[in-house]
Amino acid sequence: MKKVIIAGIVLITSFFLNSAFAQCNSELYVNKSMKSLESGFQFSKSYRIDGRGGTRKKVEYTCVFSKDTNYQIRISGKDGSAQGLIGTLYDSKRNKMVSSFYNNKFLEGWTFKCRATGIYYLSFTFQNSKSYCGAAVLAFRR
Amino acid sequence: MRNLYSIILSITLLVGCGANNASSSESPQQLAGSVDPVQEEASAVDDDIINDILQSIPSPLEISLLIKEVGSVYNKADLNDPGRVSNYNTNFDKALNLGIYGTDLGYSNIYNKNQDALNYLNSVQNLAEGLTIGQFFDYATLKKLAESADEDLEALLRTTTANFEKINYHLREQKREYLSILLLTGGWIEAVYLTTLVHNRTKNEVLKEKIGEQKIVLDRILLVLDVYKTKNGFGELITDLKKLQSIYDQIEIETVYGQPTMVEKNGVLVVVDNTKSVIKISDRDIDSITSLLKSIRNKIIK
Repeated sequence: MKKVIIAGIVLITSFFLNSAFAQCNSELYVNKSMKSLESGFQFSKSYRIDGRGGTRKKVEYTCVFSKDTNYQIRISGKDGSAQGLIGTLYDSKRNKMVSSFYNNKFLEGWTFKCRATGIYYLSFTFQNSKSYCGAAVLAFRR
Repeated sequence: MRNLYSIILSITLLVGCGANNASSSESPQQLAGSVDPVQEEASAVDDDIINDILQSIPSPLEISLLIKEVGSVYNKADLNDPGRVSNYNTNFDKALNLGIYGTDLGYSNIYNKNQDALNYLNSVQNLAEGLTIGQFFDYATLKKLAESADEDLEALLRTTTANFEKINYHLREQKREYLSILLLTGGWIEAVYLTTLVHNRTKNEVLKEKIGEQKIVLDRILLVLDVYKTKNGFGELITDLKKLQSIYDQIEIETVYGQPTMVEKNGVLVVVDNTKSVIKISDRDIDSITSLLKSIRNKIIK
């Protein structure tokens, strides 16, 4: 009987601990991502990437990009650097433009030299992520 | 014994569900339990769509930096008078003019006009406090950065943008998206208005295209404003912006698709878009937009 109660307490405690770890404080990673922006790029927006412990497979945002503008994305997450996080850009027709998972590496981001004004989709997905938590920032330069 | 296992399992599952629900996306009202969860659930999809559109509206700084890049000189008279701040008494006026002053703040900062920037900073702080979001605006840091803007303009612009983003984020968290869209609309109107003024003086082709491409942004702004059309003040603003939209309907954005090319340099991936767009906008369209935008802005700034 005692063993069962102890097992129960351990189970509940571990669940509480897991829940606490599952909380995603994206704000932390916004600041980290911002610091890795290349000089000359002006910060424009931040994106919170909270996969809610793996229950959300994709976090997507819509962007309006302007022609003749360079856009830079920087990603950082709880697993360290951009580990486990992938930022992919699609155009308005859902053609893939660029992904931060390149040559089997999780890159910290990319620079997109935009030549066509329009709607783009910025999609964040997870691959072998432990935390499902991070953030990205968007910056621009003419 | 089996019953005890069942009880423990049930408690665990219940606790688990509770923990999942307490995600970062919940509103303070939800966390406090003051909102009917069913009602919240029903409006959650709409909120996501609204937030996505709000998030997609570009920073006015993109336009302001472009205006400076084309070689335009700073003209204080182009901006809204920071002293008018006491004229804005309703939340509707405060939010719209907070956006307008936000753009003017960024603009004066870009041109290193420290005193003007400080005046706008005071007006922004005043309106933010009036909307009970002053706590998200880091006045002290911004003031310090503005006083030494010539040393680190990038830090000043970054901090200003981050502060406005924080204000917008918290307005959405507090379910006051209608103020967030007004703030963004005000910022956008001021940025495009300044572009039309400078274009009028310079006849710069890049600015002409920039005015034309605002067609996409205006459509998105109107999508959200329309959600709140029954709220005080929204009706007239929507009517005015729809008139502007009807001029923009004449403008075409032609796109020719091409495959992107990419190179990796020191761990940084650089992608060149080979899709190209041409914005077809006539001088007559520009004149109509300039004149209508001026009258819309005049109504807002009073």
